[in-house]
Amino acid sequence: MNAPDTSTRELPMIECVGLTRRFGKFTAVDDVTFSVARGSIFGFLGPNGSGKSTVIRVLCALLEPSAGTARVGGFDVVRETEHMKPLIGYMSQKFSLYDELTVRENLSFYGRLYGFHGARLRKRFDELVAMTHLEPYLDRRAALLSGGWRQRLAMSCALVHEPLVLFLDEPTAGIDPVARRELWDLLFDFASRGMTLFVTTHYMDEAERCSKVGYIHLSRLIACGLPADLKRLPEVNPPGMRRIEVACDDATSGLRVLRGVPWVRSATAFGQSMHLLVDAAATDDALRSLLEENGIGAVDVRPTGPTLEDVFVSLTDRANGGAR
Amino acid sequence: MSVFRGFRAILYKEFLVVLRDPFTLFLMLFPPLIEMVAFGYALETDVRRMRTALLDEDHTVESRQIVERFVNTDTFRIVERVGSSEELAAAVRKGRVYVGIDIPPGFSRDLAAGRTARIQVLVDGSNSSVAGSALNTAVAVALKESMARLALAAGTRELPFEVRPQMLFNPAMRSPNFFVPGVIGVVLQIATTFATAMSLVRERERGTLEQLFVSPLRRWGLLFGKLVPYLFISGLMAFALFAVMSGLFKVPIAGSAWVLAFATLLYLFALLALGLLLSTRAQNQMQALQFSMVFVMPSVFFSGFIFPRDTMPWIFRSIGSCLPTTYFIETARGVVLRGATLADVAPHLVVLAGMGAGLFALCALRFRWKLG
Repeated sequence: MNAPDTSTRELPMIECVGLTRRFGKFTAVDDVTFSVARGSIFGFLGPNGSGKSTVIRVLCALLEPSAGTARVGGFDVVRETEHMKPLIGYMSQKFSLYDELTVRENLSFYGRLYGFHGARLRKRFDELVAMTHLEPYLDRRAALLSGGWRQRLAMSCALVHEPLVLFLDEPTAGIDPVARRELWDLLFDFASRGMTLFVTTHYMDEAERCSKVGYIHLSRLIACGLPADLKRLPEVNPPGMRRIEVACDDATSGLRVLRGVPWVRSATAFGQSMHLLVDAAATDDALRSLLEENGIGAVDVRPTGPTLEDVFVSLTDRANGGAR
Repeated sequence: MSVFRGFRAILYKEFLVVLRDPFTLFLMLFPPLIEMVAFGYALETDVRRMRTALLDEDHTVESRQIVERFVNTDTFRIVERVGSSEELAAAVRKGRVYVGIDIPPGFSRDLAAGRTARIQVLVDGSNSSVAGSALNTAVAVALKESMARLALAAGTRELPFEVRPQMLFNPAMRSPNFFVPGVIGVVLQIATTFATAMSLVRERERGTLEQLFVSPLRRWGLLFGKLVPYLFISGLMAFALFAVMSGLFKVPIAGSAWVLAFATLLYLFALLALGLLLSTRAQNQMQALQFSMVFVMPSVFFSGFIFPRDTMPWIFRSIGSCLPTTYFIETARGVVLRGATLADVAPHLVVLAGMGAGLFALCALRFRWKLG
């Protein structure tokens, strides 16, 4: 067994260089390069079918790359698979569990699979149950668990062997907000204890919580970095433009008015307010009077920064424009 | 041990899953017993105590004597006495009886006068095995009576020829003895192959296979872990089937039960390995089921279960040579009926073991430890 080696601390826990995977003529992942430092949470975003799951599967040695290399925990996923496997945990999109088995039996099975027996198995079992609060459901069949509990059980199973790297493929799809928040609390806790997390998600608020994010679009990684760095990219903050948040008493009508104005580059609804990208020359007063002319009052203008959603929208537009 | 890593975990899980999944367990255990009993009775070709109608127009001691000779063969059973040949024909035509015996008036007079005394036997030819048996018995009765009378007339006590056939193994010529060991072979084939095929494909469908691939489990650990529980269950089932054979069908096991048990285990291993091999090809459970059914028909027709292999065209005989069922049926018949020893059936066992090992190895080679 490979004990965590302090000398690898400075090396990235996950590293892809020019990673490419083709299925026949279709290229699912195209020349993807990124790295994830130990103890960080990497958020991997992108629309369905963009190649997120394929990247995870290559990193978990479930698929072989067509080109490029991938290393996890310092081990090559193709040539050093057997060394790599004990280091990783994987929670698939479907929360793959054995429906006929109870919660207790599912956990015991994965424990045994990773070589736990007797007292060691019991000790690890108790730790996992305490951590995920699965206690009341121990004798329930996995088939009868609700989404949130299935996800907890699947995560416990993936954590049985205390992996250094945990891959979670859309862990929060279809679960309630309470379970979602509790999951993230756990993930932060793991990260603080040195575990490296690789999480795919569709939720922008989850992306904001990550220490590093990557955005994959049409099989290519079009953005990768710390959320703060991404928000400072020039593509996201075009020169001569500024971002403002505008609160008013009728945001829906406001959007309709503003979308026809040449100095408004983009306008997005955000609850009762609007996020705008406008020419730096346009003043708040000009905006306020324009809205009031159209019968919209209680206008309050505040400067704001880009959200990660703004980042991904800008970069996607640019990628699509480049393709055209 | 390392290539079997994870074997015990899979074994633990697989036993639980099998026991928790009553449907698969039911599919494995129940139909075989029903099929066994149904096949066993349906394939009964011994024709005895056939329903027979009698038209005795002679009413003499001699006519009654000859009827008695017929009945004593145990082939015929008089269930109806009719008054005319029309009624006799009608009884056969309507299916009330299989055979009609007509002793015409003047039967005993002809006999006494040394003329040929005629008996007419109507046989329902719509069932060939019944017809053949009735015909043979009727002719044999007449021939035996004739010989006895000729001998008497010639003043000799001894017949010039006598063939004394001695039937070794299965002296009563009971058809269950011949068919039931074969039925067990076919029934086991139907019930086992699909089980391993389905179980691995189900993991693929559910995504749990993906989870296993991520773990340090090795392929031999997975494949053996999948196979052993089903070997255990189908072993129990085979035991039940042999119990039905000797209990219900009264077929005693002439040879060693241990040899039979060993042969059965080798056979089951080969079948289950075949199931695993099919699962490496099948995309879903439906396909797995269909693939395993493909092997059932040849096992019924070309294994020597019903039709003797020696009379088959070479192509069918070759197909039969590729099927584990062929060797199992040969072995089972040998041990159960002829009391064959381990040394006698060793060639068949070697083939069975080779098939099992070959299928399993092929499966381990073909099994892709990857997705996509």
